[in-house]
Amino acid sequence: MSLSIREAFGLELVRLGKKNKKIVAVSCDLKDACKLSFFFDKFPKRSFEVGIAEANAVGIAAGLALSGFRPYLASFASFITGKNVEIRTSISYNNCGVVIVGTHGGLIGPDGATQSSFQDIAVMRSLPYFEIIQPSSPKETRQAVAYSARSKKPLYLRIARNEVMEFLPKNYKFKMGFPALIKKGKKNLIISSGPILSNCYYASKKINKDIAIMNLSSIKPLNEKYILKILKKYKNIITVEDHSTIGGLGSVIAEIIAKNNLNKNLKIHGIQDDFIDSDTPSSLEKHYKLDINSLFKIFKKFF
Amino acid sequence: MINKSPSKICKNIRKKILFSIYNARSGHVGPSLSSVELIYSIIKLGINYKKKNRNKFILSKGHAAPALYATLDEFKLLKKNELKTLRKVKSRLQGHPDKKKLNLVDTGTGALGQGLSISIGYSLSSNLLKLNTKIFCLLGDGEIQEGQIWESAMYIGAHNIKNIIVFIDGNKFQNERSIAETLPEKNLLKKWQSFGFITKKINGHSINSIEKIINSFMKNKNNKPLLVYCDTIKGKGVSFMENNNKFHSVKDLSEENYKKAISELS
Repeated sequence: MSLSIREAFGLELVRLGKKNKKIVAVSCDLKDACKLSFFFDKFPKRSFEVGIAEANAVGIAAGLALSGFRPYLASFASFITGKNVEIRTSISYNNCGVVIVGTHGGLIGPDGATQSSFQDIAVMRSLPYFEIIQPSSPKETRQAVAYSARSKKPLYLRIARNEVMEFLPKNYKFKMGFPALIKKGKKNLIISSGPILSNCYYASKKINKDIAIMNLSSIKPLNEKYILKILKKYKNIITVEDHSTIGGLGSVIAEIIAKNNLNKNLKIHGIQDDFIDSDTPSSLEKHYKLDINSLFKIFKKFF
Repeated sequence: MINKSPSKICKNIRKKILFSIYNARSGHVGPSLSSVELIYSIIKLGINYKKKNRNKFILSKGHAAPALYATLDEFKLLKKNELKTLRKVKSRLQGHPDKKKLNLVDTGTGALGQGLSISIGYSLSSNLLKLNTKIFCLLGDGEIQEGQIWESAMYIGAHNIKNIIVFIDGNKFQNERSIAETLPEKNLLKKWQSFGFITKKINGHSINSIEKIINSFMKNKNNKPLLVYCDTIKGKGVSFMENNNKFHSVKDLSEENYKKAISELS
């Protein structure tokens, strides 16, 4: 069954909202696109439309969190994570439990560079106390959203617009801080998350080699001991992301490798230091070499 | 504090502001001194820190932190000698209010323009929980140049939120120069009115005027959102600091100036 990750988010939030009355929603005129509208329809009294005023929305969500609610503030990742000083002071400095849901990360399509986000992980990673999750499939999205409702921390949830066929194993369990190996291998390791992970998965299947895949969906905080144990086993490591190569998943892994003085062959593949163009998501994936075929070629050459 | 007249208490608060800033060797002295009567009256009449589900005080102009700390000390809500720790490592009294360290504050502030939005969040939560919480939000007159203030004003007006009272500490100066030299206010009260507020203009150093407004607000007398522009003097209470923007933020308050200031307040 194929379901977009944002739809999985919207459905799960409604399911959680029935039991957990502390969950509230804050929108900046993009609730339909973010699928926060499902929650708005079901729980109108716990839903607040702020209008096209993201800074105010950040402060309102902070005030709600400071009084014990668990607000979900959803908008396009590029718009909402652009409110850095507001998130920094009103949410991070207070260490208060707002969940920021950034949708439309990566290669979203014809709307182009201003609407699609490829710096959000870098920006949000640097804010103290924030947890960061980027789920990779509909099933994992449901589990990650359930986690976000249990956590009391400020949390950034990067939710893709893309439709993704469910490809994670039946018994898959999301565990914060412990990114799972979804495919076993010996010398070679691919690390990715979000909708691009499934491209990596199908590309690697076409190669007749032992390739492991790590689903780096929980991005911050990480259990470093656990990650180190995995990284040590592999010689060649490639990170793949629909995000800038500055400050994203590749940086997370490079920091761990550098900090622990590991001798690894590491390649960071993602969006270079530039804005992306407009086109259909599939054309963009080809152009930025994140589609299955391009990844197949990159992996084949690298491993 | 009992039996002391409010004006005497405010003098004490001013002395404590000067003491803590002198001791820290830096701090925003001018904008702290201008807001003393406002912060004192808000806390005295509006905030019972011992109560659960109490009213909230949002010091949006977070650089007036020394005035907040001095007032909390005057109300015996800080530890003995704690004012001496202002702006020091591990102190609860950081340069700008830090809720993680000092739980009495209802939000951390410092980057300007954000407190009114947080006030709305508290107000919505009060409605959801049916608490009738009152929220007191203190803005600087320079601070309202921030666009977010007007986003929040638009929201408050549109939803006719009546449990927030907004005070502007109108001391006529901002970080570098006067407001008039930087970005002159045109029709300031009319702007707020057009957003749906009732506006009042008072002398921000008259405890009587402030208390009258707070008392009526506490009794839910306003049928619209309420904005109070308070005419104040930057550096109020110390002759050589009044309307002298050199004392907006001091790097090192000399012993001579400190002693002179204290003697004027004694």
